[in-house]
Amino acid sequence: MTARSLIQRSCALLGLLALSAFLFYIGKGHTLLVDTAAVTIDGREYSSAETVSVSIDGREPESMGRAERTMAQVGGPRHRITIEVVSGGGQKVEQRFVIPTFLDTALVSVPAILGGAPRQHWVTKFVAPAAEDAPAEEMQQQEQSTVLAAPPAIKP
Amino acid sequence: MSSRLRVFFIDNAVAILILLLIAFALPVAKLPASFLIQEILMRLGRDTFLVLALLLPIMAGMGLNFGMVLGAMAGQLGLIFISDWGIVGIPGLLLAMIISLPISVVLGWMCGMIMNRAKGREMVTGFILAFFMNGIYMMIVLYAMGSIIPIINPELLLSRGYGIRNVVGLDGVRQAFDNLIPLHVAGLKIPVFSYLIIAAGAALLIWFRSTKLGQDMRAVGQDRGVSASAGIPVERTRILAIMISTVLAGIGQIIFLQNLGTINTTSSHEQIGMFSIAALLIGGASVTKASIPNVIIGVILFHLLFLVSPMAGKNLIGSGMLGEYFRQFVSYGVIALALVLYEWKRVTRENDARATLRGGGAA
Repeated sequence: MTARSLIQRSCALLGLLALSAFLFYIGKGHTLLVDTAAVTIDGREYSSAETVSVSIDGREPESMGRAERTMAQVGGPRHRITIEVVSGGGQKVEQRFVIPTFLDTALVSVPAILGGAPRQHWVTKFVAPAAEDAPAEEMQQQEQSTVLAAPPAIKP
Repeated sequence: MSSRLRVFFIDNAVAILILLLIAFALPVAKLPASFLIQEILMRLGRDTFLVLALLLPIMAGMGLNFGMVLGAMAGQLGLIFISDWGIVGIPGLLLAMIISLPISVVLGWMCGMIMNRAKGREMVTGFILAFFMNGIYMMIVLYAMGSIIPIINPELLLSRGYGIRNVVGLDGVRQAFDNLIPLHVAGLKIPVFSYLIIAAGAALLIWFRSTKLGQDMRAVGQDRGVSASAGIPVERTRILAIMISTVLAGIGQIIFLQNLGTINTTSSHEQIGMFSIAALLIGGASVTKASIPNVIIGVILFHLLFLVSPMAGKNLIGSGMLGEYFRQFVSYGVIALALVLYEWKRVTRENDARATLRGGGAA
């Protein structure tokens, strides 16, 4: 292999690697949880209107009440959200936001966007609520299995 | 005239047989024309690229590349990785193609090396090689993934903690190519972008034929000895033909699976070689000669028969399963018939040549 072809092949390989990284960046899928629950940022409370219509990336708008959550699957880091206050005012906000590449599930706060909160508070990492130590269903199952496992009383 | 007619019938025996079967099954199936056209349009976008992958080895005189299954495995591995990393849409499919590329190249190189050691028996070698590689693929997918190869998404893994589940949903990339340029004509959905990819692949093959390497492949396909005497690196050319075919098969499998929207991890790749080869032969190709029109005609006829046969079976004997058996019968039968005809023609040609040399004219 000549030095020239070695350079050409190395360049092609590097180009492919760079293209792969770029495709990973622009194609990474995220789950967005669009949330209308009130939030407190820097001591100030932001609450949503009674009913809002929310659309992500120009998709079909979804009507949401207070303290509701809806889910959307998106790909790539840059997105557009359109929020329209249905109950009074008729305020319509269209904003763009960025999701970090390695954030799989992101929480998008509608009140923060509507209320003009600092941009870094619009999208936060979703943290699933901690599971209870012994959920009610599990306890019930345990009770049933205890009953089934108990040997029948044998009279001599 | 009768001799020319005989030659025509012998050359196109497979296509004529399939046309007769379709002519018989079509009125019995009683399927609406709109349904048939829509299905053919979709299947044309789904399968044509895979069949295109078979053309180069035929040009290089290596017959029907049963080893294309290796490329299909590479394509599936690419799709499994992008599903694990959660890459969606067109970038996901392109990334799957890039991932499949080095795997296809290595597998193609290995396949070409082995075929060079089994000259004249490339088809059966490729067939058995596909079985052998299937075992290694299974080992990678069912044992290495999740244990040696990290898999982030636990939904992809079997409940034991390693190995990929039997079915992997491609929700993020489902029909991403097909829906990129939406076009509806008279209520029919046309996958324009998939057609554009196929057209690009076909144009690339036409251009490739006129290149130095393409001419070398044609020369090697016609006569290995003469090509070697002319200074063409015969073995290298044959390896390159198989490598390109394997890479194209990997891309074709990705196009195929994005349309289906799901991977059957352990079996999606297995029948690809058989069905693609059967489609090409139905289109009028032979072991030594194939063209792009053969590919398109073959995919249309093959899938038309696939579509009408279950319904025809149901209407005839009350069981749709007849059609399912018929599909297998047609795929394997067509390949067997084509191989028998090829061998018979070769023997006839040799006998004719011998008779001509003896001065007795054509037998």
